[in-house]
Order: sequence, then structure tokens, then C-alpha cells
Amino acid sequence: MENLLFYVMAAGAVAGALGVVLARNPIASVLALLACFFCLATIYLVAGFQLLAAAQILVYAGAILVLFLFVIMLLNLGQAGPLPKVDREMFRRRRSTLSIAVAAALLLAAAIAVSGFREVTALAALPVHGLDTPAMLAATLFRRYALPFEAISLLLLATAVAVVVLAKRSRAPQAGSRDGDEA
Amino acid sequence: MTVPNGHLLLLAAALFAVGVAGFLLRRNVIVVLMSIELMLNAANLSFLAGSRMHALSSPGGIPDPQGPVFAIFVIVVAAVEAAVGLALVIAMYRHKRSVSLDELGELKG
Repeated sequence: MENLLFYVMAAGAVAGALGVVLARNPIASVLALLACFFCLATIYLVAGFQLLAAAQILVYAGAILVLFLFVIMLLNLGQAGPLPKVDREMFRRRRSTLSIAVAAALLLAAAIAVSGFREVTALAALPVHGLDTPAMLAATLFRRYALPFEAISLLLLATAVAVVVLAKRSRAPQAGSRDGDEA
Repeated sequence: MTVPNGHLLLLAAALFAVGVAGFLLRRNVIVVLMSIELMLNAANLSFLAGSRMHALSSPGGIPDPQGPVFAIFVIVVAAVEAAVGLALVIAMYRHKRSVSLDELGELKG
């Protein structure tokens, strides 16, 4: 039962990932990514990581993908509007064989590496409370990784400032350059 | 019987390969950013598989806490990357009226 769920969800995740890459419309890409992340969250649950599954849904599906959708709709890149030079040719032609070859080589290398991998299972079943109990995570995060944790908080602050600076509409020079572009 | 860890790692490799292909193939910046998110998720999955391997091979079923902790760090970094990347996309759209990577050639030698 558990294994069946895992394999179904793995197929769903890979299908979603392929949908992200192959979809013509960026909104379809976002929805495929959403499906992929939900499948991944289920896989985390099956694998025993309950907190991470919740974080996956909350942060990825709830925040990051909404941000993507928001930007796509803000820039009007959906199907309805005129697509300004976007995806007229969807793929970069010259590079496509090379990049598919790179991806296939990566996958092959990983498959070879995993096939030589010895499975050790001393445990018949995972513990009921899952593998990532909040107590264990907190003990590691706030003791051994306290410094990276603080660094991450600094990174988040810097990001908030940087995003405001980058996306702010600066009045005078921006307007002039845009007129120049359109002329 | 639980899911073997090798299959988790294989799934992570497949997701990563699809992400790499999307990153190299697509010319829409937003889809390229989404491909990066896919690759970060693959990395997360392999972190968790490593932690789980530790749990399955030890008799007490105690996982290595570093796997989930690093996965949390990766999630935070992914959020930061998406925010900055999308702000750059907005700035690029203001300048070029386009989100195609082919429009960006100024630094080409």
C-alpha cells in the first residue's frame, strides 16, 4: 500500500516536472510544478518526514508558486495577451540536443551509482511519529546549526531589501529609457 | 516493507535531470527559474533519503537530523532565490518588454 502510493506519486512528480519543461504556456508550467510539489510532499510523508511535507506544501505551494503566478499575471504573460517575443520558438534550438544529452548522462550516472548501492534495512517499519520530530530538528537547528540559522535570517532581511530595490519603479531615468526603447 | 532508499535517490536524480534539461532548453526566464526550483527539490529529496538511510540501518530507527535540517535550509534558500529572481525578471521586463533569454546579449564578448 505504502509502496504503491510511493510509486504512483513518483510517477506523478516526474510527469509534473516534464510538464513544467514542456508546457507552452507559463501558467501551465506553474500548475504542473504545483502538481509535482504536491506529489513530492506525499512522498515525504510516505518516507516518514511529516514536518518537511508540511513545509513543502506551505512554503513551496503556498508561497513560492503563488509568487511565480503573481509575476506571470503581473507581466501579462498568460495566454490571452499578445506574447511579446516570448516562446515564439519555445526551445533554444541549437542547444537542445546537447542539453538533453547532458540530462540523460546525469540520469544514467545516477542510476549506475544507485545500482551499486547496498540497501541496509534493519527496521521493518518506520516509527509512527515519523523521522523528523520537531524536537529533534529544533535541537539540531538551534545548537549545532545556530550560526547558519542566524545567517539565514540575515539573508532573508537582505533579500527583502534587495527585492524592494530591484522591483521598485524608479521614476525619472526609467521612464526616459523606456520611451527610448519603444521609439 | 518500506520503500527502498535507492528508489528515492533515483527519483531525485530523475527530477534533477528534468530540471537541468529545462534550465538548458527553455528560453523563458520564468520557466528557467522553475527548473531551478525543481533541481533544488531534487537536492532536498536526496538529503532526506540520506537521513532516512541512517534511520533504516540503525536498530533504534534514529535518523540523522542533519538531512531534514539541511532540507529546511534549502527551502529557505529556494524562497530567497525565487524572490530575487522574480524581481530581476520584473526589472528585465521593464527594460526589454520581454522575458526571453535571447534578448539578453549585452555581455556577450
